[in-house]
Amino acid sequence: MECTILIGGQAGQGLASIERELAALLFRLGYFFFATKFYMSRIRGGHNDHLFRIAERPVHALSGESWDVLVSLDEETQRRCKADLSARGLCLSPAEIAEIEKRAKDGFSNVVMSNPLLVGVLLRIIGVRSDALEAAAREEDQPAALLAGMALAEEWDMADRFVLQPRAESPYTFDGNSAIGFGSLLGGCQFMAAYPMTPATSLMLYVAKAALELPVHFEQAEDEIAAINMALGASYAGLRSMVATSGGGFALMTEAVSLAGMTETPIVIVIAQRPGPSTGLPTRTEQGDLNVVLSAGHGEFPRLVYAPGSLQEAVDLAKRSFEMADRYQIPVFILTDQYLADSIQLLEGSPELSVALRQYEIFDASYRRYALTPDGLSPLTYPGLGEALVRVDSDEHTEAGKITEDLDLRVRMVDKRLRKASRMDKDAVLPTLYGDRDADICLISWGSNREIVEEAADRLTSEGHPVAALHFSQVYPLVPAMLEGVSLAGKRLIAIENNATGQFAGLLKRELSLEINDMILKYNGLCFSVRELCDEVAARFFVPGGVK
Amino acid sequence: MNDHGEIAWCPGCGNFAIRDALEGALAELAIPPREIVLTSGIGQAAKMPQYLAGNYFNGLHGRALPVAVGVKLARPELTVIVVSGDGCNYGEGGNHFLHSLRRNLDLTVLTCNNQVYGLTKGQSSPTTDLGRMNMFDPRGNENEPLNPLALAIVLGAPFVARGFAGEKEHLKGLLKEAIQFRGTAVVDILQPCVSFNKVNTYAYYRKRVYRLDVPGKDRREALEIAEIQGDRIPVGVFLKDESRSPRETAGRLFRKSVTPGDMENLLQKWHGAA
Ligand SMILES: Cc1ncc(C[n+]2csc(CCOP(=O)(O)OP(=O)(O)O)c2C)c(N)n1
Ligand code: SF4
Ligand SMILES: [Mg+2]
Repeated sequence: MECTILIGGQAGQGLASIERELAALLFRLGYFFFATKFYMSRIRGGHNDHLFRIAERPVHALSGESWDVLVSLDEETQRRCKADLSARGLCLSPAEIAEIEKRAKDGFSNVVMSNPLLVGVLLRIIGVRSDALEAAAREEDQPAALLAGMALAEEWDMADRFVLQPRAESPYTFDGNSAIGFGSLLGGCQFMAAYPMTPATSLMLYVAKAALELPVHFEQAEDEIAAINMALGASYAGLRSMVATSGGGFALMTEAVSLAGMTETPIVIVIAQRPGPSTGLPTRTEQGDLNVVLSAGHGEFPRLVYAPGSLQEAVDLAKRSFEMADRYQIPVFILTDQYLADSIQLLEGSPELSVALRQYEIFDASYRRYALTPDGLSPLTYPGLGEALVRVDSDEHTEAGKITEDLDLRVRMVDKRLRKASRMDKDAVLPTLYGDRDADICLISWGSNREIVEEAADRLTSEGHPVAALHFSQVYPLVPAMLEGVSLAGKRLIAIENNATGQFAGLLKRELSLEINDMILKYNGLCFSVRELCDEVAARFFVPGGVK
Repeated sequence: MNDHGEIAWCPGCGNFAIRDALEGALAELAIPPREIVLTSGIGQAAKMPQYLAGNYFNGLHGRALPVAVGVKLARPELTVIVVSGDGCNYGEGGNHFLHSLRRNLDLTVLTCNNQVYGLTKGQSSPTTDLGRMNMFDPRGNENEPLNPLALAIVLGAPFVARGFAGEKEHLKGLLKEAIQFRGTAVVDILQPCVSFNKVNTYAYYRKRVYRLDVPGKDRREALEIAEIQGDRIPVGVFLKDESRSPRETAGRLFRKSVTPGDMENLLQKWHGAA
């Protein structure tokens, strides 16, 4: 049993507050839910959809089924979405919305109260009773308006139309960017410099807010070039540091990515992808920047790229990024996207709260920042600790960090930097195999598609189309160990990606000689839904009674 | 003088005197090398940190300033000095120059201004005089030169000075004053480039340079001093506004970590149902 709700309207109509209030109450009432949004790059007007899926078991994707409840704050939403209403579906058309506004004005002398009124109507539709609501609502939720909304649902005969039991015991809720922010703080991050850019801005806000009470600094930079150079300065000086941006801002950072590679300064770079090229679709989703992240920064140096596929992975990999950046003295990337960034989900389980700390080794005056060692890793320390002078250089340098044009030393320094990568194999995050291991078809995903693909695999299998799913959350480097124990031989491999060219499929081929047989690609700026993916897989790869 | 190995400057280059003046200033202020961080970009002047005792971050062309901002925000207790060329600080890094001054952190920003791109062999820089010949434009520079000190004053830098590599002792005094100043101190240093600037030579400057006895009493007066150009070139402190305190930094961050307790609070407050 589920209930899907679409709330659509124009920017400026209070949709964001409605989303926030509904999500907060569903969470406190103990419902399993997933919420995401499709929105336009506008402050006023345009059409924004806020999508909720409420269930009696964990849900982490859009189902793609027709809507059970359609809330149209404007005529446009009504026109666009009416046809997608389920047979038993309920519709709150602009006429009902006008009535809600009237009640808000009459009953509370405040039109803003229409938000909690609407939320009250919706909660009553899924069976919430006033006693449960009173127990869960806080003062700021406007309990009186919520209750008035519930009464309105009764009046309209909408109460209990999609009754759901609150079964969730998940204690925490996050959106994708706050999960990365939380994980970063667990990773010991103490410095972020950033320049606003959708869909990375909410991560900046998260760290900026944390910085008000924790030993963390947030600096708004004059541009992305400054942001990453500031972060490198802070990292060099001793703080674990990060930047966040989207593709366009990252393009400006690339020279400094190379600087991080050359100076071996640890840094974590979060890229929240949106459709390009150029400014593209600023508020939509895509997985189009994998290739640029793999090749960003001139010259040759090791790097690590993570692409979390769930809240838990976002927390864990963000934390791990800081550990790995320090361990290998390299830039570490986290690739996320608008879809994951803006999706509100429950975190199943409790995060482990230990905070990873930097090591502060102390050296004497003989310290050399780039000492040549068998594994390529030179001891890392920071200015002002002991008598060591920490001298780093973007030019090719000696062990002591001085500019050199000694070409033999150049070769040894290149080898040293690249040697660090060979040790990274043992720290590889292995992909996750899910579903029917014996199936002839395996869906391959990376990053934010994980939970959509896994639910699709479950559904396909239960509908008589058995498939397995393999998800990569470390997308670079790809190492042979990742394919050991996941016998893919003889399987038809289908890459699922939110881009037009199958960038990850290309990488699998290049790095692991893994041939991808087919691809399902979506690049209209929206995420996949479970139903859509199932239909596509069933139609393209199955015939009645078996695999095509 | 310390042994800094082979030095990559032309004999007679103004950078030698600037290096000596800076070395002397740091020694006389008795700042231990371990507490000094020099940041530079790329160019001839940007090699300066290599030939001094201190920590350094020799970064990208134009990006010495944001690196310094990052270092200072992370470690307010360190003495952070930016030293780079006119092309680096005013050209490629122009946007950072604008905005770093607005921050007014306790930084010293030194520019070895040879009015030319030295390392790339003689193109015009933002401070090249009108009409000076250069390899990209044999008709001579057609763009109005930037007045970096007027700009710094307008942007609100509280300490603004000009030095001359040909007056090493005077320069050393200026540098000491700049480093000791609390807030962003901007010093533009006239630096003859014997290889690529045959106009703004030692002799050229010696004929024109004169010392200021006192700084301008306010921004307006300092700006008037900065506008003096051509046949007379003032050196010394143009503006020293001690009434403004530098921007507060976040306090101690280094080796002071977020705790599991902090994270528990944050988890409950921002992500929990309580
Ligand atoms: C991004 C980038 N662009 C161009 C260069 C080439 N480059 C190196 S130094 C320099 C100009 C140096 O001029 P200036 O900063 O005045 O230093 P000087 O050599 O005169 O001391 C240029 C254009 C570079 N290293 N990086
Ligand atoms: S080229 Fe000019 S600035 Fe560079 S070292 Fe030679 S004299 Fe000095
Ligand atoms: Mg120059």
